[in-house]
Amino acid sequence: MTTQYAFYFDSNACTGCKACQIACKDKYDLPVGQTWRKVYEVSGGGWEKVGETFQNNTFGYYISMGCNHCVQPICMEVCPAAAISKRDDGLVEINQDLCIGCRLCEWACPYGCPQYNDEIGRMGKCTGCDDKIENGEPPQCVSACPSRALDFAPIEVLRERYGDIGQSYKASEVYPLPDSNYTLPAFFIKPHKNAISIDGDAARIANTEEV
Amino acid sequence: MQVHEWALVAFTILSQMSVGTFLVLGIVHFFARRRAGIEAAEQLSDIALLAIGPVIILAFVASLFHLGNPLNAYRAVASLGSSWLSREILSGILFAAVGGLFALMQWRKIGSETLRSVIAWIAALIGLFFVYAMAQVYMMRTVPTWNTWYTPASFFTTTFLLGAVAVGAAFVASYAYLGRKEPEEAAAQSELLRQTLYWIAIASIVMLGVEFVIIPAYLAFQYAGEASAIAALRALVGEYGTLFILRLVLVFVGAGLLAVALVRNTLKAGSERSLAGLAYAAFALVLVSEVTGRFLFYATYTRMGL
Repeated sequence: MTTQYAFYFDSNACTGCKACQIACKDKYDLPVGQTWRKVYEVSGGGWEKVGETFQNNTFGYYISMGCNHCVQPICMEVCPAAAISKRDDGLVEINQDLCIGCRLCEWACPYGCPQYNDEIGRMGKCTGCDDKIENGEPPQCVSACPSRALDFAPIEVLRERYGDIGQSYKASEVYPLPDSNYTLPAFFIKPHKNAISIDGDAARIANTEEV
Repeated sequence: MQVHEWALVAFTILSQMSVGTFLVLGIVHFFARRRAGIEAAEQLSDIALLAIGPVIILAFVASLFHLGNPLNAYRAVASLGSSWLSREILSGILFAAVGGLFALMQWRKIGSETLRSVIAWIAALIGLFFVYAMAQVYMMRTVPTWNTWYTPASFFTTTFLLGAVAVGAAFVASYAYLGRKEPEEAAAQSELLRQTLYWIAIASIVMLGVEFVIIPAYLAFQYAGEASAIAALRALVGEYGTLFILRLVLVFVGAGLLAVALVRNTLKAGSERSLAGLAYAAFALVLVSEVTGRFLFYATYTRMGL
């Protein structure tokens, strides 16, 4: 592998407008029920008694999530049909001609990325817009974001742009992302100021009917 | 739960039953031979052996309903290097092929006895690997509720328990068939049948004991586990609580109470008729219980993350 493309997401800039989600859906003409990029709304908190008064400690933030084109893609490991492969530029792609539609990758991926297309009986997922990348353009979701919360580039380039971003995100800082050691996702997040050190009991995904 | 998951319930239960039946038959054959000689042993087990074929074929047919794109099903073995699903399918096919070869040779008495038993051993070992691989498919590091010792433990318990009660039911069926065709030979067999059913009933009580140890151990283990495993546990005892209890009751009645009744009845001569009823009922109850248990296995799937 010569490079590893990765997504960068600034949770502080995201307003939850879902332009990225819809731009992706439009480009790939996805049927109802399939959303290769999803925007998760995380919220929590309530009224807390402090001394003799009640104070409000509610919070909310968004996470925009496509495929993280993991360094150790578990979808690829479990696929029995060798339909998932990792390209030289790090993108993880599904070859639908080879897919048998067993949906094991869907069970395995901790990011809800591979999705079953009922019309063709095969899996589909975020491609990283390889066609646009090859022309030097950003993916559809990135160019659609009105608040420039998303970026996509080789990891070295992201490091130049955003400074010390480590190897991946830190799960302990952003509920409900899984520990990045499981698949080594090529995903970096600048956590929302309220997201840091929130545990799963206080926060929840609020828009479950959407995602 | 949708059609494609019911297909997996059918595939895993039927294939585990096939492997279990093959293994239990092998064990029964080994002991029956020592006690009653080769001919009597073969008369007892050959028909049951032939019944495994349709079951494993049905299992693979069911597995096709799991696939969105069954035309590509041949590609399921394309990734033996990394995918346990590929290894599962290949070992399943090999088990069916080698087991089928053995059944054919045994039925037509082709080849020497030693050669046949070597082939039976190979099929049995492949069958054990098949069940192991089946468990490994679900032991994904991102699915904590499945990625525990319990998945292989429960798959092997199902294999042996269903195998034992299926063999019991198959024996009384083939005995009844023999009784209609050749009453004299059947009478000669009745002693062996009762002895065999006695040990099958004992074995199923032991397997029930194993199940009733590993299930609570698993619940306790999950309770101390990762968040998504706890969510799965909550669903099992909450949303699916009634089904879960029903599954435990059914297996207790089938492999416990009925098996005890079987043990008592096998000690009395001339009790073949009540033995048949008990063996069929035990098989039916254990099968329904194991199907329900497998349904719950898939229905309470949860993974970490998003």
